[in-house]
Amino acid sequence: MAVLEQSQPMTAPAPAKQKKVGQSYASLVWWKFKRNRVAVVGGVILITFYLSFVFLPEIISPYDVQHSSDFAEAGPTPLHFVDQAGKFHLQPFVYGMEQKLDFKTRARTYVEDTTRIYPIHFFVHGDPYKLFGFIPLDIHLYGVDQKSDPQAIVLLLGADALGRDWFTRIMYGGRLSLLIGLIGQFLTLFFGTALGVVSGFYGGAVDQLIQRTTEFLSTFPEIPLFMALAAAIPPYWSPLAAYFVLTLILSFVRWGGLARQVRGLILSLREREYALAAKSAGASDARIMFRHLMPGTMSHVVVIATLAIPSMILAETALSWLGLGIRPPLTSWGVLLQDAASVRAIHNTPWELWTVPFILVTILAYNMLGDGLRDALDPYGAR
Amino acid sequence: MSESLSEPLIEVKDLRVEFDVRAGIVKAVDGLTLTIQRGKTLGVIGESGCGKSMTARAILNMIPKPGKITQGKIVYHRRLQNNGQSQLDDIVELTELDPDGKVIREIRGGEIGMIFQEPMSSLTPVYTVGSHINEAVALHHLTPVRKVGDQLAEQVMAHRQVTKEESREIAIKMLQRVGIPKPTERVDSYPHQLSGGQRQRVMIAIALSCEPALLIADEPTTALDVSIEAQILDIMRELQESVNMAIMFITHNLGVIASMADEIVVMYMGKAVERAKVVDLFKNAKHPYTQALLKSIPHLGKKKVGGRLASISGMVPDPFNLPTGCVFHPRCPMFMPGKCDQIAPSWTKVDEEHWVSCLLYEEV
Repeated sequence: MAVLEQSQPMTAPAPAKQKKVGQSYASLVWWKFKRNRVAVVGGVILITFYLSFVFLPEIISPYDVQHSSDFAEAGPTPLHFVDQAGKFHLQPFVYGMEQKLDFKTRARTYVEDTTRIYPIHFFVHGDPYKLFGFIPLDIHLYGVDQKSDPQAIVLLLGADALGRDWFTRIMYGGRLSLLIGLIGQFLTLFFGTALGVVSGFYGGAVDQLIQRTTEFLSTFPEIPLFMALAAAIPPYWSPLAAYFVLTLILSFVRWGGLARQVRGLILSLREREYALAAKSAGASDARIMFRHLMPGTMSHVVVIATLAIPSMILAETALSWLGLGIRPPLTSWGVLLQDAASVRAIHNTPWELWTVPFILVTILAYNMLGDGLRDALDPYGAR
Repeated sequence: MSESLSEPLIEVKDLRVEFDVRAGIVKAVDGLTLTIQRGKTLGVIGESGCGKSMTARAILNMIPKPGKITQGKIVYHRRLQNNGQSQLDDIVELTELDPDGKVIREIRGGEIGMIFQEPMSSLTPVYTVGSHINEAVALHHLTPVRKVGDQLAEQVMAHRQVTKEESREIAIKMLQRVGIPKPTERVDSYPHQLSGGQRQRVMIAIALSCEPALLIADEPTTALDVSIEAQILDIMRELQESVNMAIMFITHNLGVIASMADEIVVMYMGKAVERAKVVDLFKNAKHPYTQALLKSIPHLGKKKVGGRLASISGMVPDPFNLPTGCVFHPRCPMFMPGKCDQIAPSWTKVDEEHWVSCLLYEEV
């Protein structure tokens, strides 16, 4: 009896295992990925960020990015639930703000005017915009009723020197910063993988040429190279064009490392019998390279790429901070950091440093996701 | 049947494949001549490294990098099906084709299929079984394998690319032909979900999906266990009959070759040393090397119990420093001093369709 009982837990998980055998690679990867909580959290954060910063900043932020107000350098407006009379409001509200000028130091301070109460509305009508560039709307996720009182304003993360809502600026800035990471990495992936595959498959002179080129590119110190290339962008170009050229530059300098890793993988994969089998079945070189060998490198490449996106975002941030990347009036997290990068700004408007946690969380999320992917994409490996 | 009795499909003439490596030149194949008849099985046997696989690779013009075909010809008697009615006969010199060109790629897989020793690693791990077969079909724009008498459909489909559904159907049909159970489900399996024997069947299915004129089987059952081996051999024999395909069967397993081949070529150090019909070779081997090979097979139920297996004395010679005269002479039990180490033997006909390359049978 004891033996029977002991064998019970041994046989119980068998059906689950059995089911796993018949599953496709993708579902195995997903199954393993799901079990890694940290990676799932990273993924969820990134999906949320990309959705809200890239696609929906117009809706989520209360104002247009260029909406300036009289409240220059105003600090974050506190949210209240309980008014002066001690009455509890289910709907949070903000008080109106009054500007005071210290005549000695010429510093502006803001005090709450408790007589004016502006309840926070959700899905309020505000600055008009075009969603996805073509749907005209004026709905904002939250805000105060500005139509009835133009003095009403809500600044969750304070305002900059022009009285623009900092939260709005972070939202819009995230769009460019997150996109540059993604687009730039996509280009890097494209160049790096294609050149790495060709380099590893043919070897010889082609290999030499490609590998020496990557070495040549990687011997340059990055920042001066960026500076030189960014300086080459004509100043009369629109900021948007400059932005795309910057993306190209970033990926152009960075494909070398990926190409080298892909080459190494291809060098071993091309000796596999299935490459020979494909050749004996009449497949062309291009077909063998890109249909049979390249997929074998993909799990590696995806992980490398995921872990490299943060460095792309950071590179953009660094360049823009140096004033070489994205230029105002376009907003990116680098541009926002540049605004905050002075002792005066840190002293007077410390809330401008709110950009930093957003950058940190993004990069952390990418690393969490990348680590999870690395484990998940090798579902047959131990662990 | 009678018309295909002695119709050559591939003629390898005086082929030499050399590898120019740092330590010198290795002759992987050295003056090999053989003929593969249409619809027949040619067995090629020999020790490891005697040039069997290189010959196969040379036929597909797929000699790996430092290797080169320095001499000889491989004549392929190509037969192009034209609308299933008339046949265009064409003679192609395979060694003269551009190894990456369009013609050789059409021939590879389309007209000469190949299956490898390692079924475990011959399938690209990221694709399903079905997509492997579909790729072979798509590469050669082939139409489904049809039953005899299905002429009308053949006419209609002769010059049409197959659709996805048709292609899948072909894949299922091919899997069924090679005896894979539940082909409709297996067509969506990935290679790692199949056993070794099933994978080798898939390889055969891929090779056969284009109805090649020649199937080169390079030790196709070496990695499989004996019962699976027997099944695979059965399948190959069966399919050979149904599509009138020639097989070049490379192995070092004498038992397997005895049951498969019509004719056998014995190779030693890149040279053919004996060629004969299968029964003739096993009953009446002439070359001392062949005799030694046959002796080294263990026999069940032999009277002498506890005796040691016969082995060939000596070692395979250093490929950089081949012996003079007959390359086998240092290991040969019939070594004739002054003759074998000086004169290279040439083909001698000892019987009807039985040639041997040995000085014992040559009058010098």
